[in-house]
Amino acid sequence: MSNRLSVTTIALASAVAGAVVALAAARVVTQGATTPYRASRTPDGKPDLNGIWQALNEANWDIEAHNTGPSPAPQLLGALFAQPAGAGVVEGGPLPYRPEALAKKKENFERRLTRPTSLELNETAGDPEAKCYMPGVPRATYMPFPFQIVQTPQQILIAYQFANATRQIHIGREPEAPAESWMGWSIGRWEGESLVVDVTSQIDRTWFDRAGNFHSDALHVVERYTPTSRDHLLYEATIDDPKVFTRPWKMSMPLYRRVEQNALLIDFKCVEYAQDFMYGHLLRP
Amino acid sequence: MFRRMVASGALGVAVVILLPALVPVAGQSAATKTPWGDPDLQGVYTFSTLTPLERPVTLEGKVALTEAELAEQEERDAENRVSEGRPLAEGNPGTYNNFWTSNEKGRRTGRSSLIVDPSDGRKPPLTPEATKVREQLAAEAAARRVGSPPFVHVIYRSWKDLPTYTQCVARPMPRQNQAYNHGVQILQSPGYVVIHYESMHDVRVIPLDGRPHLPDNVRLWNGDSRGRWEGDTLVVDWRNFDPRQEYEGAHQTNMHFVERFTRVDAKTLDYQVTVDDPTTWTAGWTFVLPWRGDDSNYQQPEHLYEYACHEGNYRQMEDALSGARALENAAARRSN
Repeated sequence: MSNRLSVTTIALASAVAGAVVALAAARVVTQGATTPYRASRTPDGKPDLNGIWQALNEANWDIEAHNTGPSPAPQLLGALFAQPAGAGVVEGGPLPYRPEALAKKKENFERRLTRPTSLELNETAGDPEAKCYMPGVPRATYMPFPFQIVQTPQQILIAYQFANATRQIHIGREPEAPAESWMGWSIGRWEGESLVVDVTSQIDRTWFDRAGNFHSDALHVVERYTPTSRDHLLYEATIDDPKVFTRPWKMSMPLYRRVEQNALLIDFKCVEYAQDFMYGHLLRP
Repeated sequence: MFRRMVASGALGVAVVILLPALVPVAGQSAATKTPWGDPDLQGVYTFSTLTPLERPVTLEGKVALTEAELAEQEERDAENRVSEGRPLAEGNPGTYNNFWTSNEKGRRTGRSSLIVDPSDGRKPPLTPEATKVREQLAAEAAARRVGSPPFVHVIYRSWKDLPTYTQCVARPMPRQNQAYNHGVQILQSPGYVVIHYESMHDVRVIPLDGRPHLPDNVRLWNGDSRGRWEGDTLVVDWRNFDPRQEYEGAHQTNMHFVERFTRVDAKTLDYQVTVDDPTTWTAGWTFVLPWRGDDSNYQQPEHLYEYACHEGNYRQMEDALSGARALENAAARRSN
């Protein structure tokens, strides 16, 4: 009788001890998850975002959840440049298009490889990526190419490998945009560990992806870059465009540091590769 | 101040390098440093100048111009800038170039040429090989011309017959002596100097960690740059150019540049380039081009506007190529 009791007592005590240990561990894990990562600082005391970064996802194919699909020319390319499936980077379901805008998106997709045999066609049809046009924000962030952040107290320059696109983010000053532009006008500020960037004045001829998701000249993007480890950033972008969407919406994704030794942003001046597509109809027959 | 530095003529290059360290401008140390201890070259500059690259034959033997001669040149330029020498009517911006170009005084360096070595202020002779290539290209270009003077047109077979700049593919490097879009910015972060040119929105990210160049088979329109500090001077070794890129009439297949950037005062950088390509020129040559922060059009980073060259180039390419087809058709009809 006393043996059974002592065994039971030991078992009970162990169970309680185990539970206490487990609870304590859980508390530690919880605390770890809620303490934000603190990035190393630049000399002026801000989170240091300097480096070469790249997205690793399928967002450039289609920012929404999508299936696999053929390349544009399967007889020519086989599985090369076929589309992989993706779970999407847009939070909260399908993009909230206005009905007429959804029709335009579908038309964009159908005409995504329309060769621009006239100025009018060039300006109204075709994926701008095929033409090596600067991709705008946020698409430049998640194209399958790296970009380099160069950070100074007054200004952050981002150099993108694709098309050598460049943008300046002004910090602590709010100069006005002289005109609309392909990469937009960016004013940045620091909020704790995050760089928050307001992007306006983007020309309406860039797309969000190869699927034809698009915007108007009313586009207003708010980006957040938040270090989550030494080699990761969390990238969030809120899109507000009342001419195209019924409400603002948000995308998010990790960005990964290019950590190889001597990582280098090598120019990708792709204009020469777009010329046949764009001007081939003007050669001598 | 800069003119005084270069008026010593024969000392030329050496004087220009040494003086900034010896004679800092009052009230501003020439050698300011970034917080991590690198010399601070940061700022917004322009590199336009009316000084020609090569010394004109009329100024042979003359390294520097006197103040009187400079004033005379300024006056001549001012006359040329207004429409046919007459004062401008209200609301009239003047001739095409007057509207576009930056005309501030001081655009001249005070020298008769940007080239300081060789001492005659001119590029060295071409090698026999380079001469042959140039003659070949000239012959090919002549074969594409139709019509007789003054109505001579060039037939563009394709976009490749247009300069790479007109195609918005790339623009020659190093940049020198532009009349407009001549703004440039230098930014620095630990381990890098970054040069952002307004023209072509080109960005050169220059690592300072001594890593090797890209392998020789990797050739880029803007080449590949590696930097190091020599005292307060940034020395950049620049090579790996695309063979199709052209500089001063020669392909950049074997071109190698050494740039030297030194801060002179709060608003000025001394910028020197030594051009080294023994397959093109029989000797190396060096030019000096001040980068100045005194252009009212380029005072802040945001004054470097987005240069969406290719994005805005469709109509130009369409016109050039369809025009070439029209010329061909007209020539064919005439010969039938």
